Amino acid sequence: RISSVMASTAASRAAVSAAKVVKPILSRDLDEAKRRVRELYRAWYREIPNTVAMFQLDITTRQGRDKVREMFDKNKHVTDPRVIDMLVIKGKMELQETIHIWKQKTHIMRYFHETQEPRPADFLSKFYRGHDP
Amino acid sequence: MLRLPTIGRALAGAAKGSLAPSNTVRTAVRAASNMVEVFVDGKPLEVEPGTTVLQACEKAGIQIPRFCYHERLSVAGNCRMCLVEIEKAPKPVAACAMPVMKGWNILTNSEKTRKAREGVMEFLLANHPLDCPICDQGGECDLQDQSMQFGSDRSRFSEGKRAVEDKNIGPLIKTIMTRCIQCTRCVRFASEIAGVEDLGTTGRGHNLQIGTYVEKMFMSELSGNVIDVCPVGALTSKPYAFTARPWETRKTESIDVLDAVGSNIVVSTRGGEVMRVLPRLNEDVNEEWISDKTRFAYDGLKRQRLTQPMVKDASGQLTPTTWEDALTRVAGALQSVQGNDVAAVAGGMVDAEALVCLKDLLNRLDSENLCTEELFPMAGAGTDLRSNYLLNSRIAGIEDCDLLLLVGTNPRYEAPLFNARIRKSWLHNEMNIAMVGHKVDLSYSYDHLGEDTSVLKELANGTHPFCKVLSAAKRPVVVVGSSALQRQDGAAILGTVSTIAQNARTSSGVEEGWKVLNVLHRVASQVAALDLGYKAGVDAIRRNPPKVLFLLGADAGCITRADLPKESLIIYQGHHGDLGAPMADIILPGAAYTEKNGTYVNTEGRSQHTRVAVTAPGMAREDWRVIRAVSELAGVTLPYDSLEEVRSRLAEVAPNLVRYDDVEDANYFKQATELAKAVNQDLLAAPLVPPQVTVKDFYMTDSISRASQTMAKCVKAVTEGAAAVDEPSVC
Amino acid sequence: TCQLEVDLGRLGLRDARRRQTASCPTVRPKDAVTHNQLAAFGEYVSEIMPKYVQEVQVTCYNELEVMIHPEGVIPVLTFLRDHTNAQFRNMIDLTAVDVPTRQNRFEIVYSLLSLRYNSRIRVKTYTDELTPVDSAVSVHKAANWYEREVWDMFGVFFANHPDLRRILTDYGFEGHPFRKDFPLSGYVEVRYDDELKRVVAEPVELSQEFRKFDLNTPWEVFPAHREPKEAAPKLEAGEVPEKK
Repeated sequence: RISSVMASTAASRAAVSAAKVVKPILSRDLDEAKRRVRELYRAWYREIPNTVAMFQLDITTRQGRDKVREMFDKNKHVTDPRVIDMLVIKGKMELQETIHIWKQKTHIMRYFHETQEPRPADFLSKFYRGHDP
Repeated sequence: MLRLPTIGRALAGAAKGSLAPSNTVRTAVRAASNMVEVFVDGKPLEVEPGTTVLQACEKAGIQIPRFCYHERLSVAGNCRMCLVEIEKAPKPVAACAMPVMKGWNILTNSEKTRKAREGVMEFLLANHPLDCPICDQGGECDLQDQSMQFGSDRSRFSEGKRAVEDKNIGPLIKTIMTRCIQCTRCVRFASEIAGVEDLGTTGRGHNLQIGTYVEKMFMSELSGNVIDVCPVGALTSKPYAFTARPWETRKTESIDVLDAVGSNIVVSTRGGEVMRVLPRLNEDVNEEWISDKTRFAYDGLKRQRLTQPMVKDASGQLTPTTWEDALTRVAGALQSVQGNDVAAVAGGMVDAEALVCLKDLLNRLDSENLCTEELFPMAGAGTDLRSNYLLNSRIAGIEDCDLLLLVGTNPRYEAPLFNARIRKSWLHNEMNIAMVGHKVDLSYSYDHLGEDTSVLKELANGTHPFCKVLSAAKRPVVVVGSSALQRQDGAAILGTVSTIAQNARTSSGVEEGWKVLNVLHRVASQVAALDLGYKAGVDAIRRNPPKVLFLLGADAGCITRADLPKESLIIYQGHHGDLGAPMADIILPGAAYTEKNGTYVNTEGRSQHTRVAVTAPGMAREDWRVIRAVSELAGVTLPYDSLEEVRSRLAEVAPNLVRYDDVEDANYFKQATELAKAVNQDLLAAPLVPPQVTVKDFYMTDSISRASQTMAKCVKAVTEGAAAVDEPSVC
Repeated sequence: TCQLEVDLGRLGLRDARRRQTASCPTVRPKDAVTHNQLAAFGEYVSEIMPKYVQEVQVTCYNELEVMIHPEGVIPVLTFLRDHTNAQFRNMIDLTAVDVPTRQNRFEIVYSLLSLRYNSRIRVKTYTDELTPVDSAVSVHKAANWYEREVWDMFGVFFANHPDLRRILTDYGFEGHPFRKDFPLSGYVEVRYDDELKRVVAEPVELSQEFRKFDLNTPWEVFPAHREPKEAAPKLEAGEVPEKK
């Protein structure tokens, strides 16, 4: 059968190329990826005062920047440049949505989890809280 | 067990007879030669002689469509849906009634078979209304399913359809008789399983009708099962009518706790509401039947519920409060008293998890005052020997016995499914039954020995004429009702009955494993409570009134305000505002059996557990959680936070409680009889009358069924006739 | 019966009815000519682009599928668009399928239409969570929003897409809802908070009722009667024996 022969050859080709290098998303190595992270962080850092003003947020620029730092720090364990790139892409999209004020106040303030109460851990508070803690 | 019906019974007898010698010879060759070789769709298969074509196909893994055939009922062979072709036979045969012959080739999917099914289906549908969209059976209807599979996709019927007048057979079963296909399953169920000859057929041919002939109520405690047995929507549930569809309900496999049998049930729920209760197959407990109370009392779960904690205020009025407040008050009360000034009473529907929590809590407060509402004689061996308070022969074990002596019990209403087993054994195994106690209708005939305790005494010392029958029995069983043991002379009765049982056992010469003495309980929590070391009966509390009394679902009214000093505090924890709640100072809302994962041990000592089908209403919580929360506030935190941890604690106290669906054997009859001799043997003269004598006593026995409107209607219908609760028919 | 025949005849339904009774209505009738034409065209495509085409098959008698290596998206789509004998100039759909058990869990599916030959073709390729696929926007303008949708719903990154951003989900939404490991109930639920005077998002807390799924169907009483009489046809391209 032609198809199966072709499939096997194509598969072996793919396997060879896959073993050598994975296709990069944007960055060729970790340094380049780190550079992109720094760029994104800087962009966010600069944008914060503007965001606070434009969205009329009830937070200070300091609080906003702390939140940005916290969110970057959340992923600091990531070392795979491709994963870093993916996160940078998503971070850029978030930034774009913020700069263009596509987002609304509610979307920005969701980063701060204001209304979220910590889940009860001990038996009594779980008991008071509800049926199925 | 051969459950071969009337037509098959003769054959089965023949089969047994022919099999008997082969057992003695015990060679594989002989055994094999007795088997009949048949072919199902060409595949060879060995079956026992007397097997019907339908059973042979079942054995080969092929299901034959049927309407009238039901494996627990006799064969009627009148629906003809099970017609199959037999190779070389001139015409198709009814698979359910025809025993196989050697070398037959059964063709379950041949052209002729299909044609026969299609033809039968066409005839059945000719007179069946096309009201599936408004029929309650829709979605679980045998006729609907099978017409999709085997029926034709168009109608050739242009004549007028038959219509039949509906009958009022009580507040539980709705009849739409036009839908009836005359399979007579309900008639056979009533006369064979339920033992009431209420249903029958009148007329012939086109005019054949199912009914009660004169309009009356279908008076059986198992009547709801005809709803499951009915293959179409002719008999449906009245309370469930037009409330839900089977495909939109969630099914939770659970256990019934309204009697001590522990029937296996399926709880159908929709949107956090119990829509209905159906039986679940368990050959060892309830087969596939459940009692009407189990099936229809579910509406009691929605009424009279305790949904928030309540505290009695200065004016003596119970006012709703928060959990924090209620629990703090309870904890404060428990801390302010010490030792035996605090006591607890457990009711009839409490799960083992809550029982063990409450026991641990009170033990930590240095109190041993833990009682159950149900009395059990504590003198002699009392509850120390487990075999003393169990139905040792087991429910299914009744089928092996040949003589049954009932003492002071009415199993028909105390444990309807146990009674159905007795009837089955009476019907098929020719078991003899005798009874000491009030003469009641048990749906089978029995030898009434009298209702006085003197009869027991005569039986014990061998002067009664029945003793001859008893000693001649090969496998005797004695069942004493728990109510008989709750009299003043309960211990003496237990002692006497145990002597009778011990005498019967020695005279019958059965093997060591056979158990004669049995106790039939009436409430679901009793065995687990006794296993956990609760004292039976509230006498101790009455003698030493405590300062704080904790009622855990205690609704039987054994103890009242009058039994306690004025300043004492009563805490009630439970799910219904029934008898216990109004006299309490603090009310803690608990969960009913459909709302919690609870372990229950049935009267034979079988541990089973319920599952959460719906969440408890309002602020109600699972019972063990409430007690665990109280313990934390009282400064004696119980060391378990999750259900698994509670169950492992249960396993420490009584390992049999977490070995689910397993019956732990107990066999200490000799010792128990010895110990019983030390007890005062004087019997009172009062006759043995069980509390449930007629059917109207059956429906309302606990807080759930007392809250149920359906059960109230049943009582009304029984006393005033079915017409009294007649509702205008919607369709 | 006669009455019915007449009615059906009047309504012009007789033919439809005969066809229905002649075969199982849910199975498409086999058309050998179409099937062979498609198989031949598939073979032709795979011969021209052996580097990219891994497998060709005809499913359901008249649906041609071309499986390609992800590197070949642009060349294969361009070929199918521009070749005289293909002229698949319309992109009907572009979507993805998530099969988490596979190493390359996402299957990207391009559905094309040739108005010139009244014919359809399906091109399939594959990728995983991190490997970008070349954007097809340079070949078909229609791919723009479809690729945004696949990015949004599956998290497949399309390289060189002119405007890759979310299209369906809310701003700030986390996760890709069409991935099989995305919970049916999502991660957050929103409500209007009266104190803050805006909508807030909180982690979902579904009641027990909605967390249980009943997967049993009450309708399979006689499963033997449901099984198709013959095995489902599995036909591949190049059914002609290989000539070598």
